[in-house]
This record gives sequence, structure tokens and C-alpha cells, in this order.
Amino acid sequence: MSRRTPDTPADPVEDYLDRLFVTLSGSPRQVRHTLAEVEAHLRDAVAEGVAAGLTEPAAQAQAVARMGPVHGVTGRGPALTRPSMAMARRLALTAALIGGAGFLAIGAAGVFARLLLTVRGDAFLTAPWPAGSYTRADCARWLAGDPGTHSCVTAMLADHVGDFLLQATAAGLLGLIALAAYLALRQRWQDRATLTALPAGTAEALGTALAGLAAVVCLGQAVNTEMVQHGIGAGEPWSLGAAAAVAAVAFALAFRRALRRAAPG
Amino acid sequence: MRSERLKGHLDLLLLSVLSRGPGHGYEVITRLRDRSAGAFELPEGTVYPALHRLEEAGLLASAWEIVSGRRRRIYRLTLAGEAALAEQSQQWNEFSGSVARVLGTRTPAAVLPWRSALPGVTA
Repeated sequence: MSRRTPDTPADPVEDYLDRLFVTLSGSPRQVRHTLAEVEAHLRDAVAEGVAAGLTEPAAQAQAVARMGPVHGVTGRGPALTRPSMAMARRLALTAALIGGAGFLAIGAAGVFARLLLTVRGDAFLTAPWPAGSYTRADCARWLAGDPGTHSCVTAMLADHVGDFLLQATAAGLLGLIALAAYLALRQRWQDRATLTALPAGTAEALGTALAGLAAVVCLGQAVNTEMVQHGIGAGEPWSLGAAAAVAAVAFALAFRRALRRAAPG
Repeated sequence: MRSERLKGHLDLLLLSVLSRGPGHGYEVITRLRDRSAGAFELPEGTVYPALHRLEEAGLLASAWEIVSGRRRRIYRLTLAGEAALAEQSQQWNEFSGSVARVLGTRTPAAVLPWRSALPGVTA
């Protein structure tokens, strides 16, 4: 909507053009041309109304009424021009980007964990459960999954490491799917209403904050585990923290790029 | 006339209006209203997606010109547009004639008094 100071009277033609501007999709040239066409049309209609004896405001109101709803000019259904629909689309894009990047970061943490595993072993990645917190049946299950060992603790660690790596891989695949969906939807939803439903860089800023918070929490937990448990079980928070930190840096760079793109000039 | 009913024939009507000479969007709407004696009232904005679609299809061409001190996009019929107009006019004439014959009791001109707005149709 046009910004109005108290001494600026309402202008239905300007308001209509504002609504049309945020709704039109297509290349910048197509948007400019359609706006210019419609503005010339409205000005002609206002001039005709004034020539027929209407006051300027009445002629403006009549011109806008005869033009019909904005979605008639865009040639798309009214549902697509509702601000709520544009906002829903923008939020879906934001969720797909942040969720996809988050899951992909967990998948990357699995890759870091594999590297740590080769250097420091299972006990560095996950801590064994305290004695008495598991049953003989648990032990038997873990040993059955790792027939090469006779130690319940070793089998437990191997089981937990396997679970973590499997979950990380699944999360990584889910992240790739979500990011692919994000790219496809972003390509499809190019209308200005969707693009401008949230301020530029909102998703990137939110992603930076969430990934940064996750990095601080995970890395803090890793340091604490190093100090309290002498590194036993620190590998998991280290790998998650490192992946979150990488994601936070990537989001921060994307945020800076978004702000530069949005800056005038 | 209800705009929903008109939409199905909008392309034909726009081609017909522009066959009488180039014009910008407001002129097109004005000619359409005048030639239909006010029978064709539709939200004026709906002509633009139709004009753009016809241009994309190669049936119209447009150019920006300064007319009456205002920059305007002037549409004109292409050769392909003339051919499409002739074909669609023929289809419409056949259809409206068939409807009139089914209705039986009225002449086509009485049933569709506004049809003279279409090219190639005489009342």
C-alpha cells in the first residue's frame, strides 16, 4: 500500500497500482510494462469521468471499480493474490530452506562423526550407559548385533554409533529432499506478492540464528564432556556443533548477499 | 451480459476489435463497449491478460508509442491474427447459426442482436 502522510488524500488509483505491483509476476520488464499500461488506462478512465462531470475522487473510484479486481489483470485466481496465500507460500519456502539446511547439517555431522570415529574410536563418539541402566536382554541384543566381540560395553558402543550414523544419514537425505523442494518451489513461486511477503533475508537471518544457537549449545556440550568425562562421548556433540557452525556461517553469508541484493542502487 | 459468459469469446472479440485498426488497452475496451451498444461490460482489467496471451501466441504485436502525451502500448493484428480471426469467426457463425436453428422460432438476428459486433456477421 502507498505510504500516506496525514495531509496526503487517499488516491484509489495509486492504491490499485500498489496492489497490482506486489501481485504481478514475470520479468521486471513485464511488470513495468503491465503497470504502465494499467496506469495509462486508469488515467484515461479518470479523465473521461471528469470530462463527464464527476469530481476527481469520484472519477478515480469509478475508474478503479471498472478495472475490476487486481487478479483480473494478473490473469490468476483471487486465491493467489490474497496476502495470506503469499505469506503462506513465503513461510513454506522459509521452512523448507531452514529445515532442509538443518537436516543436511545433521547429515554432515554424520560425515564428521565417521572421521572422528576412525581417529578416536567408538567411545569418543558416544558414551556408554552407566552400569545398571541396562538389562541382560539389552546386552544380548547388542552382542547379537556385533558377534566379533564378547564385551557388552563394546557392543553397546558399536550399536549406538551405528544408530547415530544411520539417523544422520537419513536426516541428510531428508535435508536434500527438502532443499530440492525449496529450489523447485522458489522457481515456481516468482510472483512479487510471495517474494515480498517477508523482508529480504528473513529466512537467512532466521537460519543464522537457529544454526548459531545449535552450534553454541552443541560445542558447549562437547567442551563440557571433554572436561567432565575426559572426552568419552564428546564426538557426537563435536560433530553436530561443527556442522551447525558451518551451517550458521553459510546462512550468514547468504544473509549478507540477500541484504546487498535488496539494497537500493 | 455476464462477464463469465463473455470470457469464452473474449479472444475473438479482441481480435475483431483490433481488426478495425491498432489501439491501446483503453481504446480496445471502449470500442468493445461501443460496438456492443454497452452489452459487453466486463471488468476492464481482464482484457490485459487476454491481450498479452494473444501477443505471446503471435496473433497480436505491440509497440510503445506516445499518444495524447501519454506512453501507451499499441496493439495491432498480425497476419496470423487475421487468419485466426477469420477461422474463429467462421466457427462462431456456424455455432450461432446452429443454436438459432435449434431454437427454431426466432431468427439468428433476433436471438443474437449483438452479433453484428462480430466480423463477417451481418444482421
